[in-house]
Amino acid sequence: MKRFGALTCLLASWAGLAFGQDSPGRAAHGDVAMDFVASYCFECHDDLVQKGERRFDELSFPIEDLKGLIAVQEMIDQLNLGEMPPPKADQPSEEERAAAVAALTAEVADVHARLESTGSQTELRRLNEREYLNTLEDLFARRVDTFAPTSKFPRDQTSEHIDTIGDALVTSGFLLDNYFEAADLVVEKALGQQDRPEEKEWSFRDNFYQGQELSFSHKSVYQYRYLCVYEVPNTVNHEGGYAGLEAFKEGVHADGLYEVKVLAHSMHRDSPYDPDIFRMDLSEPFRLGIVSGDATVGELHHPQPIEPQLAEVTVADGEPQWYTMRVWLEKGQQPRFIFPNGMANCRNAFGRIARDYKDQWPKDDPYDGGIVHARRVVLQHGKMPHIRIHEVGIRGPLYDEWPPASQQAVFGDEGFQVDRQEEILHGFAERAFRRPVTKKELKPFLSVAEARREKGHSPRQATLDAIKAMLCSPSFLYLQEAGQERGGKLGPHDLANRLSYFLTASMPDETLRAHADSGAILEPETLRKEMDRLLSDPRSDEFVSGFLDSWLNLRALGDMPPDRNVSAPYFYDDLETAMKEEVTHFFRHLLEEDRPITELLDSDYTFLNKPLAQLYRVPHEFTHETAYQYEKVALPDRRRGGLLGMGAVLTVSANGIETSPVVRGIYLLENIMGTPPPPPPDDVPPLEPDIRGATSIRDQLIKHREMNTCAECHRKIDPPGFALEHYDPIGRWREKYPDEKGRPTGPKIDASGSLPNGKEFRHVMDLKTLLLQRKDSFAHHLAERLLSYGTGRRMEVMDRPDVETIAAETRKEGYGARTLLREVILSDVFLTR
Amino acid sequence: MSASRRYFLKSVGATLSLPTLHSLLPNSLGVSSALGSTVVDKASPARMVAIGNLLGFQLSSLFPEKAGTDYAMTRLMKPLEPLRKDLTLYRGLDHGVKGGHFAVHSFLTGVLSMDAKGRPDGNISLDQLAAESVRGKTRFSSLTVGSETGIHGGCQMSWTRSGVRVPPIPGPKEVFQKLFIGESMDRVARTRDRNALQGSVLDAIHEDAKRLGGRIDREDREKLDEYLTSVRDVEQQLQLKEQWVEIPKPDAPFEQPENRNMVEDLPLLYDLIALALQTDSTRIATLEIGGDFNPKDLGINKGYHSLSHHGKKQENIDQLLVLEDYQMQQFARFLEKLKGIQDGEGNLLDHTSVLFGSGMGNANSHTNYDLPMILAGGGFEHGAFKQVPMKGPGKVPLCNLFLSVLHQFGIERDSFGTSTGTFA
Repeated sequence: MKRFGALTCLLASWAGLAFGQDSPGRAAHGDVAMDFVASYCFECHDDLVQKGERRFDELSFPIEDLKGLIAVQEMIDQLNLGEMPPPKADQPSEEERAAAVAALTAEVADVHARLESTGSQTELRRLNEREYLNTLEDLFARRVDTFAPTSKFPRDQTSEHIDTIGDALVTSGFLLDNYFEAADLVVEKALGQQDRPEEKEWSFRDNFYQGQELSFSHKSVYQYRYLCVYEVPNTVNHEGGYAGLEAFKEGVHADGLYEVKVLAHSMHRDSPYDPDIFRMDLSEPFRLGIVSGDATVGELHHPQPIEPQLAEVTVADGEPQWYTMRVWLEKGQQPRFIFPNGMANCRNAFGRIARDYKDQWPKDDPYDGGIVHARRVVLQHGKMPHIRIHEVGIRGPLYDEWPPASQQAVFGDEGFQVDRQEEILHGFAERAFRRPVTKKELKPFLSVAEARREKGHSPRQATLDAIKAMLCSPSFLYLQEAGQERGGKLGPHDLANRLSYFLTASMPDETLRAHADSGAILEPETLRKEMDRLLSDPRSDEFVSGFLDSWLNLRALGDMPPDRNVSAPYFYDDLETAMKEEVTHFFRHLLEEDRPITELLDSDYTFLNKPLAQLYRVPHEFTHETAYQYEKVALPDRRRGGLLGMGAVLTVSANGIETSPVVRGIYLLENIMGTPPPPPPDDVPPLEPDIRGATSIRDQLIKHREMNTCAECHRKIDPPGFALEHYDPIGRWREKYPDEKGRPTGPKIDASGSLPNGKEFRHVMDLKTLLLQRKDSFAHHLAERLLSYGTGRRMEVMDRPDVETIAAETRKEGYGARTLLREVILSDVFLTR
Repeated sequence: MSASRRYFLKSVGATLSLPTLHSLLPNSLGVSSALGSTVVDKASPARMVAIGNLLGFQLSSLFPEKAGTDYAMTRLMKPLEPLRKDLTLYRGLDHGVKGGHFAVHSFLTGVLSMDAKGRPDGNISLDQLAAESVRGKTRFSSLTVGSETGIHGGCQMSWTRSGVRVPPIPGPKEVFQKLFIGESMDRVARTRDRNALQGSVLDAIHEDAKRLGGRIDREDREKLDEYLTSVRDVEQQLQLKEQWVEIPKPDAPFEQPENRNMVEDLPLLYDLIALALQTDSTRIATLEIGGDFNPKDLGINKGYHSLSHHGKKQENIDQLLVLEDYQMQQFARFLEKLKGIQDGEGNLLDHTSVLFGSGMGNANSHTNYDLPMILAGGGFEHGAFKQVPMKGPGKVPLCNLFLSVLHQFGIERDSFGTSTGTFA
């Protein structure tokens, strides 16, 4: 309820400012609506009658309060349902009814825009989870993904998929409590270890128990002599995808870098069985990776929530050889071995081999059914491909220097010095708060240290505790842009912060900070140079992935996972990663070469690894070395090329199981064409997917569009969605729909349609041609997305002139992507609060 | 057997003496004023219990022929006959997941753990989501009890939002210690020190926020208010945490039991859960009946898992029903027990939503649809056997029932797991 109060308040204060000058169109829909209401509703709903306790005579357009909004919403519903006006009353014609619905809907959209308005000002904005983690890594010069301090955080809210929008990034007691826990964990890990930890050595051999499922066969065939990895980590049953050290449950004794040596070889790459059993490429050398594991979190042979891949080697056939890797492990963790190009599912493979090749098993040891026996028989007598480890050695932690980098970053080269406590805390505050900090501002944190001293803690511990307090403070957690007038130019530190969080999703580095301290960043020339410098820094990967996640909602990839049978390669080839990488490589390429952004709409090349090229059926020779790298690949035809042919876009706009022209159409309108449709009325039943072929999705939608109230939006939504029907839920090209049993023998796909302007297309290739005729509108849309992402607020009507300017400047330079980004950064919207 | 028999009687004794334990509620410890009104916000806070087993139930012996309030009691429902008006039996609810044993862990989450990544709340389970909302109000935000293991990892019912399984406390001995035996001095001191640190941190960030407030304008101050509200919220939580350190644990109602086996311990585990709720040590509990529920302890010399693949052999089914009868009897006994405990205006069952079922539908064919599901107590309208279509337009996700349970618990949410609405 309080929330509504705040909204109304916002509405009152900004409505005049943001929407003071109504365009003629706006005034017109108010008039249309009012005329309709007066003609058909007043008879029963005026001050005298008030049927159903509703009166509309007080309504005025534009709608200015929530009461009005609710009334209008209700009218739309009633008109859509055809329930009002009641049968005995005067009836509007179908045209009148449709016009009224359109006008009322437009009004609702306006009111919503006004309610959400932040008045073209950036709000005090909290760091989102990504930015928070990156900033911690930079502050402490240490990776934190290995212990994931934010794993218990509630997920950040987004606005139009964008995860940097200030008013959506709310803070709660639950989150603040989590900030405290995280600060405690991070500070103790980065700074807590006073003395250099002792270097230890472990060796493991001959006793490799590997979890319940494999234990019987591994014992009877190998007497636990080997540690084996069979399948990719991402399986349903996960019984042979992670080889952990059961004899090392306690893990390492201290955080640090460890040397892991493995005596291993590839087994049975010449396996004679039907390749369909394995769904892996046996001609590829086997890859052995290391992820961390923690026996207190769960089974070592199961996936765990924290398991970044730490290292990888290629393992040869023949006699076992030693392989050495260096990996970062946190206290209590151990290395676990994975097989990223292993088979799709070893449980199924064991079963199938035992059954399909049962005549090959010795007469005195026949296969008698059952999975336990299958594993034993196949390991004993068959040729099951796997990576076999004979021995594992671990040594560490290995520190080249002490105090380690994390402590030097905070305490200086000499490590912690009691007499420098205040200096240390001041220095840390200026970095953590990303601006100069006065003594007065430092005081509350010095008080924490003092209180901790009084409780009997050491000066060092007290300093650590004060740092924890800083990491929970609003000065750290929020980008403040304080002291600036609304609409005023940002000061040097605020601008540096905005640029840094835009392009690296983290705090300014030393060079940028120096430009902020000197004020030089306010000069356009310096700003431009800094942009170029940051873009060539690997930290700008955070911009590329963060922006693409926000613009194209790629973050949601995997939210609705595809069917594991129909779309098996999605899992065993880790296509989710590959699909994302394609878009990132492509976008990165546009930025680096200043290629035209229109290549996002259509291009004759893209970036693929081997599994993705296979999915697209794009012929390209990959060597074993490059199979999992992303190569620029020339495309043989226009079915691929541009976002519309990219697996990531096609998968995220489907639901994993089937495609819907409506969902994909809306996706295209919102994210590519920049003309989002209004939300559907509440009372319309969703389309029931029907794969029996009796009614095609096209027939259903035609019927849907026969309803006048639906037609207005669906004539815009459906056609572009249909153009993508040639792509299945994970983006494979298809000519026919699947039939009942999923075979590709259903109805032939008709991807034709026409845009609202009447221009017709036969398929996605034609649609791309049509989209290429709207370059300006695309530049406009992309500029808006970049600005929203970079400034932390949604673009509003008042920002339009700036956006137009950016688009126009970009056009002059041939729509170059880097030019666009530069124009965005140099624009008034970006430079002002 | 004599020892176990003795403990069994003791736990029955605990039932009889339960009403007097009411005096152990924190607000009757003479510290209620210090605690403020948040610990026991109302006389009878909402509670939630979820019980699941690994291998499901014989559906043909569980579900009646006809839906409605006048359904005929089936063999498995027999022990629940006296509680007919206190519970609802559901048929046709499930999560739409597949995987046999590998999907049982989705029972309280609606989501397979491998699909959790990227979901707004991960694969957080019903109980852990509820626990987040009552953090600090009771000594333990939730109590997870039961079998740690079983076929392919066991029931694995409780999950945090970060995708970590919350392991159950396996035996009555450990549960008893958690509920009634005080912490070591060392541990108490550490908790105190940590609370003190959080107190200092809160002071500092409050100061910092005030200073910041002076430098920003009105619109941003609204955002800062959100932060300050959060600070106050944590301050209150901290006060409560601090008081839990002060407040001694309730007196033990009986001697510390020894662990025997899941079968014999089952009534005792139920009793301890009832005690935990009654003493408001927690408001949320789960019980996992998994791998260590051994048929041998009921005189059946066969494995539970192999029996569950009964192949429609009557002999196997009969033996399975013995195991399942026992579980139903103990569940009935638990409900009776809750019903017998006075709680505010009514009894504890009125204020406790008790879910009972399994992530396994038909173990013989390893299916995860058509799950056995009973909801008892909690103030819902009960008495019926409700049946919804297994597929097609009328299909109801089990998560809809869970969402209703969350609403009843006082959590306002639009969705949970794969819910499409509410259902009860």
